[in-house]
Amino acid sequence: MILRAAAAVFVKDLRTEWRTRVALNALLLFAFSVLILVGYAVGPTRLSLEDRPVVNSVLLWIVLFFSAMTGLSRAFVNEEETGTASALRLSAPPAAVFLGKLLSNLALLGVVMAFVVPLFLALMSFGIAAPGLFLAILVFGAIGLASASTFIAAIVAKTAAKGALFAVLATPLLLPPLVAAVTGTRVAATEPDLAAGLDAVRLLFAFDGIMITASFLLFDAVWRE
Amino acid sequence: MKVFGTLGRVVLGVGMAVILWGAFLYAHPAESFVGESSRIVFFHVPMAWIAALAFLLAAGHSALYLKTRQIERDDAAASAARLGILFCFLATVTGSIFAKVMWNSYWNWDPRETSIVLLLLVYGAYLGLRQAIEEPERRATLSAAYALVAFATVPFLMFAVPRMYASLHPDTVINARGKVEMSPDIKLVFFTSMTAFTALFAWMYALDVEATRLVRRLEERAAGGNAA
Amino acid sequence: MRLVAEKLCRSFGPRKIFGPLSFATSPGKVLGVAGANGSGKTTLVRTLVGLIRPSSGSVWLEDESLPASRISVRESNGSIGWCAPDLALYGELTPSENLEFFARVSGRPIPREEAERRIAEVGLDPKRLRTIRTRFLSTGQRQRIKLAYAVLGSPAVLFLDEPGSNLDEAGHRAVEAIVTAQRNRGSVVLATNDPLELALADERVTL
Repeated sequence: MILRAAAAVFVKDLRTEWRTRVALNALLLFAFSVLILVGYAVGPTRLSLEDRPVVNSVLLWIVLFFSAMTGLSRAFVNEEETGTASALRLSAPPAAVFLGKLLSNLALLGVVMAFVVPLFLALMSFGIAAPGLFLAILVFGAIGLASASTFIAAIVAKTAAKGALFAVLATPLLLPPLVAAVTGTRVAATEPDLAAGLDAVRLLFAFDGIMITASFLLFDAVWRE
Repeated sequence: MKVFGTLGRVVLGVGMAVILWGAFLYAHPAESFVGESSRIVFFHVPMAWIAALAFLLAAGHSALYLKTRQIERDDAAASAARLGILFCFLATVTGSIFAKVMWNSYWNWDPRETSIVLLLLVYGAYLGLRQAIEEPERRATLSAAYALVAFATVPFLMFAVPRMYASLHPDTVINARGKVEMSPDIKLVFFTSMTAFTALFAWMYALDVEATRLVRRLEERAAGGNAA
Repeated sequence: MRLVAEKLCRSFGPRKIFGPLSFATSPGKVLGVAGANGSGKTTLVRTLVGLIRPSSGSVWLEDESLPASRISVRESNGSIGWCAPDLALYGELTPSENLEFFARVSGRPIPREEAERRIAEVGLDPKRLRTIRTRFLSTGQRQRIKLAYAVLGSPAVLFLDEPGSNLDEAGHRAVEAIVTAQRNRGSVVLATNDPLELALADERVTL
């Protein structure tokens, strides 16, 4: 029942997003501009060989983080601004709303990542030694970004400041997983051995678990305020 | 309501003076620390302890607000967070001064430094959120939810971040062997200081909560509502 | 099912909006909520449907045969319908997609034909609206879709806040038809300033 309703919210979000493509276009354009900036200003050859893994990992996650900050607040802000949130609140179970929004944010972030990551790797000549580990870091990192963003978006949608507040509230929560993701990416770039990056994956997994659990417990209060 | 009474305040004032005397004149500097730098333990550790206590109180009152919907719980959470930031900031500054003396650098991303900065960011964001919401009940609910989510991720950060960089921080007061290893004079001043600063915090906290309550009553009276 | 409100109050911070109010609806009856602009009609209706938490007092639904059976409005899931000026449907979805979506998230999915039948019931031509997104409709057409949304789950209590706004003569008759149909199913809470609509009410709460 909850899952079906969540799927309905997810499909509805994808359908409205597909018809306007506002969030998607904004996210992709933003990500592309930053990629160009980074690619041009830093470039593949300007860094010494030993600096490359660290700096590239940091840059990649900074691009992904700021892309998330530009687009993922729309999930709830749009519902509150157009006034559809009230109807959704009356009709749908809160858990389904959160899950549906989390999935649609995850889908949006997934599209952005599918676009940004290969381009970034190519533009920066950033080689990955352990692709499996890299993929795991990307997936768990995306879940962390999306879950924290979804919950914070639900909060800021109810305030007057909205966009300005979104990054302020989300950044402190997202710093630990971002540090873990950067470390994990650096390890994936240099060490072919999967086990070396397991710590980072474990950290991300723990963060995702805690964040999603806490969001589910608290979302009801936020959504019905 | 009178906060702490005259006697309480006199005792607190005298106590703080005694601690200053004890910290700088009575206790001896500890071994293996540069010069007189170990004396900062009498101030730095109480600050950090009170910051932790305040954030714990803020989270507790936030949870209770969501459960009971009493606006006083929200006042208490906000006061605790404000004071928590103050003491957290003082702990950061004292720690940073100590780091300069010991390791000749104010800041080196020691795990504790990193986590304390994150705490400052989280609770700074919490206060920013509060300022952005006009309506008291909405402000209470949303900030309580944020405080609790932040609080749920803080322990994670405490365990996660230290592994990223090696720590230079001296043994915590109760060390890994589960014992307090201090000379008797240091121990005496230290625990007196912990008690006195906790009492100081309790007083400031009670004052702040009371002030918030009075402001609310004034607002209610101004709006012509029935002030309870 | 009847809706009971007991000593219901709402204030925003120090500013009091309404209350304390106590009243109940009875099946087959229309409860009118009257009051000048700014008297808190919309806030009252939003509180009754559970979109706003009351500052004090309580509101619940109960089965009249089982007086002890209190259901919170929030848990009632589908026992209430709501149409108000501050209700909005998804502009990027067509009217029938909107109805299908809301039916699905509330756990009672309906097929497209049923959604189109509901659209026809409020006096619109579902075939012509099939490819038109809701945001391209006129305000009056949108108001009719909102009415269709309100009665979508065959609610036990129907809340109508200014249902006739932006409606033409035929639209007003559609509102009357909805109210009449609802009398057989349950009760209506009707908040309005329109004397013609208020005439439909059997009992009245004045703010």
